[in-house]
Amino acid sequence: MRSWFNGSIVATALAAAAVSAVISLSVTRSEGQAARPARTTSGQPNFNGVWQALNEANWDLEAHDARAGMVTQKGVYDYEYARVPAAPVVALGAAGGVPGSLGVVQGDGQIPYRPEAAAIKKQNNENWIDRDPELKCYLPGVPRAMYMPYPFAIVQGTDKIHMTFAFSNAARVIHMNKVAGPPDDTYMGHSVGHWEKNTLVVDVRNFNGKNWFDRAGNFHSDALHLVERYSPISADAIRYEVTVEDPKVFTRPWTIAMPLYRRLEPNATVIDYPCMEFSEEFMYGHLRKQQLVKHWEGETMIVDITRKIPPGDRLHDWYRR
Amino acid sequence: MSVKLTIAIAAVGLYLVAANMPLAAHHAFAAEFDANKPVEFTGVVTKMEWINPHVWITIDVKKPDGSVEQWKFEAGTPNVLFRRGFTKESLLPGTQVKVDGYQAKDGTRRANGRDLTFADGRKLFLGSSGTGAPYELARPGVDTQDRK
Amino acid sequence: MRRRLLEALVVVSVMIALIVFLRLSVTAQATPPQSTPKTPAPPVTLPKTAWGHPSLEGIWLDEFDTPLERPAKYATREFFTDAERAAQDAERSGNTGRNVRAEVGSRQDVAGAYNAVFTSVKPTGRRTSLVVDPPNGRIPALTARAQELNRRDRDFRLALLQNTDTCKNKMTACAGWQYGPPSPQLSEAPPSYNTQRMNRHNGPEDQSMADRCMAGSEPDFVGFRRIVQGQDSIAIGVDTGQGQGFQRVVYLSGNHPPTSIRLRHGDSRGHFEGNSLVVETTNYSPKFPIRGAAENLKLLERFTRLSANTLEYSVTLTDSTVWTAAWTVKQELTLQKDTENRIYYEPRCYEGNYGLPALLIGARVDEKAFVEGRGPDPASQDTASCLLNPEPQ
Repeated sequence: MRSWFNGSIVATALAAAAVSAVISLSVTRSEGQAARPARTTSGQPNFNGVWQALNEANWDLEAHDARAGMVTQKGVYDYEYARVPAAPVVALGAAGGVPGSLGVVQGDGQIPYRPEAAAIKKQNNENWIDRDPELKCYLPGVPRAMYMPYPFAIVQGTDKIHMTFAFSNAARVIHMNKVAGPPDDTYMGHSVGHWEKNTLVVDVRNFNGKNWFDRAGNFHSDALHLVERYSPISADAIRYEVTVEDPKVFTRPWTIAMPLYRRLEPNATVIDYPCMEFSEEFMYGHLRKQQLVKHWEGETMIVDITRKIPPGDRLHDWYRR
Repeated sequence: MSVKLTIAIAAVGLYLVAANMPLAAHHAFAAEFDANKPVEFTGVVTKMEWINPHVWITIDVKKPDGSVEQWKFEAGTPNVLFRRGFTKESLLPGTQVKVDGYQAKDGTRRANGRDLTFADGRKLFLGSSGTGAPYELARPGVDTQDRK
Repeated sequence: MRRRLLEALVVVSVMIALIVFLRLSVTAQATPPQSTPKTPAPPVTLPKTAWGHPSLEGIWLDEFDTPLERPAKYATREFFTDAERAAQDAERSGNTGRNVRAEVGSRQDVAGAYNAVFTSVKPTGRRTSLVVDPPNGRIPALTARAQELNRRDRDFRLALLQNTDTCKNKMTACAGWQYGPPSPQLSEAPPSYNTQRMNRHNGPEDQSMADRCMAGSEPDFVGFRRIVQGQDSIAIGVDTGQGQGFQRVVYLSGNHPPTSIRLRHGDSRGHFEGNSLVVETTNYSPKFPIRGAAENLKLLERFTRLSANTLEYSVTLTDSTVWTAAWTVKQELTLQKDTENRIYYEPRCYEGNYGLPALLIGARVDEKAFVEGRGPDPASQDTASCLLNPEPQ
């Protein structure tokens, strides 16, 4: 009797929770943001707002261990797992490492490279600093723009959906109406979308093949064809799934999936990350009349890291004050 | 007409031309290319880069000794051409073009395409009549083959 | 030889322009001038979004060429007559622009860069100026502080040019300055953060914002604007210049961020007033000034749909540290066909900016040649002004 009573309370609480969940699904509102219905006037899921992925996909789409540095070198023990941070990042300590991840590639978790492409991926990985377009602040391409660690805004118009990314002031337009393709190939692709019930399905083509998927050197060619699917998990989360097809690079289509989260803080805004000016030193520093990096051999930047520790900040000093 | 008067009118004319020049080049071409190294080539287009700020055309130039040199020529902006309806198919690899320009200061095989023409002398990228973009003022003989 | 040909061409073109102008003025006198400003048509049903806001969606362009400021001779006259527009178009359609070559082997010819097929000329608009307020169509006087900053900036640029032929030959780019020895300012920082071209190329910061592919900023009056309108925010993608485009989002709620946040395109908050979208933008970055205004600049823009194909855009610029009064620009934008996709998809030039490293390399090559006695002192070479036409400040 007593346990039945308890059980009914639990059931009632669960029902109440479910009702409130439905209510919270129908309207989300946080301070400084307009009331946002879960559906647009046209009846589609309401994706208007500021979004961001919360994962390690930009480091490597595939499952990977945490690493000691963004760039590492052989340690005193010659094991892969015993590598230590290398010069470009060693001064950053634990802030210069790479977080581990279970990966976002569906199925067996592996990207199905053709053998010759797998070799290029390996070279890309070994030459990350020189080859990754992210370091040069180039347009990030799709799908990478969707899961870089920066917010982006979705504006859901009548026959266009516009995305504006904090990274590099990039943008993409999803055409929900019929338009001609672009006059030339693009970084961000040509996106054509339609609704399948609650899911926004976007076909993306016309890539120029200059983008990467992540900092691990995963890449594609100009034959890339994506099918993206955006499905609401709740009013504040989207399941983002992309099927990747590129017969020049992969043996078969493969799929990644992840949630995208709504930025719920008051006054959520996409603050531009103006990396064009930030990367000029990296790209053109060797062409200065008076160079800021003191050692250049041609275009090779030799970074001497001088870490002069002020008195009082030496190891443990600061913590013992 | 006296020489003095010709110069005075020419000066006025230059001022008018300058005042009406719609845009300066995107960057200082005089800083990049060497006035002392004029070049003139005929070659076959091997690659077109329809990129902002400037279109780059790669051509293979056959030298008198039979060897082939690759040259890259910097031209104007693709924006205006796209607005007139040009696409990446508008100048395909294999086309014979004549380029007249100035070599880069660093001596690499890059130059600006001061004048670009087909082998028969027709200007490259000109429309046959009208400019194609509804909001553009047609300049017969300037950006179309037709003259007034 | 070339120069003589050029002179002859110029003389001929001036004469043609004169004849065309005279003929047109005769026609203009024969027929009474038509009043260009049209009285507003009877109310039309303006498109609205499904959620009831006035619809501003589409690609918009000012299809006409209108000077920002009104030439003094038109005083408070806001519109040209049709005959005046036709006369100007006739003159401009004969303008061979970049097709005019200077002497082969001259730096003028190199500075000409490429021929006129790559330049765009729009027909003359009906307005005598984009500025509609003050009523004389001119930007109000600068404050004493702004004048002083401008003077220091101009003097710095001229000092860098003073040892060149441009000053020796008293060309327009050196107006107000004297030929002289290389200036000590060649090794000094400019008086304020540089945004314009200068006769020195020590690093990226010595280049103009256009050279660095960062020149685009609102208010932009010449480019294409793609407006995508959502229920609680509006995206505006601008395609302007040779890939100097940019993206902005106008939020229909919330507040401007704290003043410590400084953004290249500012922070835009909007609301609807009747048929108009009213947008206030603040928080501009000192690195991207608009005619000298940045940190204290406030833009108030109004987007008003006038008809199926017309959008009126007006913007009021206020910065009491730069201008002695606020000023307002107004223009009518025309809806462009979306299906043809003639606007540049990715309206930027950063990725393909081979020119920036190339001109830095050029400067290093020139310096090395000078040091080794193989070339002239770079300070004596004008590699900044276009030699014929000084860049507008």
